[in-house]
Amino acid sequence: MDEYIVEMRHITKRFPGIIANDDVSIGIRQGEVFALLGENGAGKSTLMSMLFGMYRPDLGEIYVRGEKVDFHSANDATAKNIGMVHQHFKLVDNYTIAENIVLGVEPMTRKLGFLPAVNMKEANREIEKLSKEYGLEVNPRNLIEDVPVSVRQRVEILKMLYRQAEIMIFDEPTAVLTPSEIEFLLKIIDSLRKAGKTIILITHKIEEIKQIADRCAILCRGKLVDVLDVNSASAQEMANMMVGREVDLVTHKSEPHIGKEVLNVQGLTVLDENKFPVVKDVSFCVRAGEIFAIAGVSGNGQTQIADAVCGLEEAAQGSITLNGQDITHTSIRKRAERGISYIPEDRQSTGTVMDFQLSENLALRRYGREPYSKKGILNFTKIRENAEELIDRYDIRCAQGPKTIMRSMSGGNQQKAIIGREIEEHSDLIIFVQPTRGLDIGAIEKIHNQILAERDRGAAILLISLELSEVMELADTIGVIFSGEMLKIAPASELTRNEVGRYMMGVKEA
Amino acid sequence: MTKVFTDGLSFALPLLIMAVGAIYSEKSGVTNLAIEGFQGFGAFIGALAAILVMPYFAKSSQVPIYIAMIFAAVGGGVYACLHALLCINFKANQVISGVVVNILAVALTTFFTSAANTALTGTASNKFILGVSNRYSIPLLSDIPVIGGLFKKMYPFEWIIIGLVVVFWYLMYKTRYGMRLRACGENPQALDAAGGDVVKTRWIAVIISGALSGIGGICFAYSIMANFSPSIYMGYGYLAIAAMIFGNWNIPATVVVCLVFGLAKAGGQQMCIAMKLPGNYTDLFNMLPYVLTMLLLIFFSKRNHPPQASGQPWDQSRR
Repeated sequence: MDEYIVEMRHITKRFPGIIANDDVSIGIRQGEVFALLGENGAGKSTLMSMLFGMYRPDLGEIYVRGEKVDFHSANDATAKNIGMVHQHFKLVDNYTIAENIVLGVEPMTRKLGFLPAVNMKEANREIEKLSKEYGLEVNPRNLIEDVPVSVRQRVEILKMLYRQAEIMIFDEPTAVLTPSEIEFLLKIIDSLRKAGKTIILITHKIEEIKQIADRCAILCRGKLVDVLDVNSASAQEMANMMVGREVDLVTHKSEPHIGKEVLNVQGLTVLDENKFPVVKDVSFCVRAGEIFAIAGVSGNGQTQIADAVCGLEEAAQGSITLNGQDITHTSIRKRAERGISYIPEDRQSTGTVMDFQLSENLALRRYGREPYSKKGILNFTKIRENAEELIDRYDIRCAQGPKTIMRSMSGGNQQKAIIGREIEEHSDLIIFVQPTRGLDIGAIEKIHNQILAERDRGAAILLISLELSEVMELADTIGVIFSGEMLKIAPASELTRNEVGRYMMGVKEA
Repeated sequence: MTKVFTDGLSFALPLLIMAVGAIYSEKSGVTNLAIEGFQGFGAFIGALAAILVMPYFAKSSQVPIYIAMIFAAVGGGVYACLHALLCINFKANQVISGVVVNILAVALTTFFTSAANTALTGTASNKFILGVSNRYSIPLLSDIPVIGGLFKKMYPFEWIIIGLVVVFWYLMYKTRYGMRLRACGENPQALDAAGGDVVKTRWIAVIISGALSGIGGICFAYSIMANFSPSIYMGYGYLAIAAMIFGNWNIPATVVVCLVFGLAKAGGQQMCIAMKLPGNYTDLFNMLPYVLTMLLLIFFSKRNHPPQASGQPWDQSRR
């Protein structure tokens, strides 16, 4: 028992309507990278929030270095050398990096020998030293608002180091990072391990666990499934345990039955706010029963194409036709009514009203029609019934049923709600932008199957994804966009993964 | 011309101390429209204290003024607890709380002034007669041409205010409490995660806000009006808030804005006298700071950076 630096025994935590952790016991060894794997809402973050003192367990005990602890706040945990990098960074935008790090534990000095003042010089020096020691490459004098997300994350790591944390909890640290930034972060984690720190990594990405973790605990719906040695377990095994059933890591796709042309985009040009063209003279068409995927590196104009088709952005030039009708200048609502469903990239600002109830969000596309409203008066009974039906059909997990506030749900379940709402419109054209961003494999598998089912129903699908593997798995036709231009359009069967990758980097016909 | 500077400064500095109070509250994340009420209530307590102690001092004694200032600060601070309680503990809408606190201050002080007068003198007057503070000139500086006016016939409270502004500037930008206070108004979650106490930080800030406003209020009572009456609620508290906004929630910039307001007001009055206009035009010229406010609002509103979390009740469970 002494070998564990942290031990959590029989932890149970309930929230209204949900058991977040059900009799979970884990032990973590000094100096290892311990991963917590589980789907969204499996209770990983809740479990670690209790170790960090943000919640208190309803039942069960926590031991740190063999000593029983009862944390009432994050301060208590910090005092025991536990630190946490949250998913949402807790930083003050208009403070420098150093000010953010020392906030709460400010080094003091006396000005003119008697006036107490915060010693920023000392802070800057100390932080520069720490940054060098762990290869974090951070300039303490920069303002937070001027540095990218990956640097902000490293500031959070420095915050823990500055407070002499020995046990460091990372909550989904890679969700916000690009692939090269992920590499860099994993290197940092490795150097922290080498320095003797104990690291707890909350994640739903199996590849990362394979790459960095020593051991891995798998949680499924609040229960501990197993603790594995990462080296001796296969990815398939972990995936099955995490989802609680057999998962197909390979998508099974039937032959497409391609029908008439649904969407035709000709010579589309979209300008950004500085009147700079971000989409340049792009033409393509999507037919019924076809998945047309646009592949490309982030920021090359793909979201603007989707926004222009559904009407969120104005087309500066070119035409958009839907089922033979010109919709270039039609309003967003008219387009939707004529048969466009849209799953936007940003599910929190464009896809939902975060402070509304789930039932209201699920009715956003249809509240104007009978039976959901009559003569402008909403029928809440029908709206609730609609929500109950969708919750059931799309397996949306929500603590208080249709009454659940959208904001309180996990990202994966918010996405399920949006997809359910949009699919149920049975539109001729469905646009998916980054439909699986930030989701775990169980949810990804389901969404992929839903996309394929819609295709087989005869819908035209426009899929925009930054994940090349997603494009390769689903697409019937692939268009590759680079710097606002459609470099290549070809049937998916004629393109290899490497070829698509090359076009994505801007290499034209070889 | 000299009078523009002397009068301008004696108007600008009480305004400034109230604006600094407003900055403290807002920088901590509590929107404060209650400055008007704080200054009025603070001035009432100060004036009441002065009335009560006056019989024990010689007629020309200046001591009651300082006693009044101390009590005004205490009174403003205590009254500010109401706003703090509503905004911080009960998570009320901060704008509505501010307005309610203002209205309540007018009602309370009017009622208690006549009640106190009835008890003390037997007549139900709504005024405390305070008399006017002495004024002093600074020997060498006041001889400088034109701007020498800034140093002529100064009220002692002007010096106190300048000192207080320096102290509270230092507290906000150089000390541990100041650093936490500013973080509290930008991102209270950050402070909470770093082990700071958001509730305590905001309470202290709102109380400071009330105390400084109270000092501003009693200075107006002693300099401009020579008495305390409900006419203390002239809207100077709101003007202080406007100064804070143009000063972009930054103390040094707010100093400049307050000086501009003060000089505009005094300049307007002197202009009115110089042009030999009838007395009822004074009111027209008294509008000058407010017209200036509206004009500046048009130009400055866009570039401003108010504290990000100002106006949002702090809720620990919300991420």
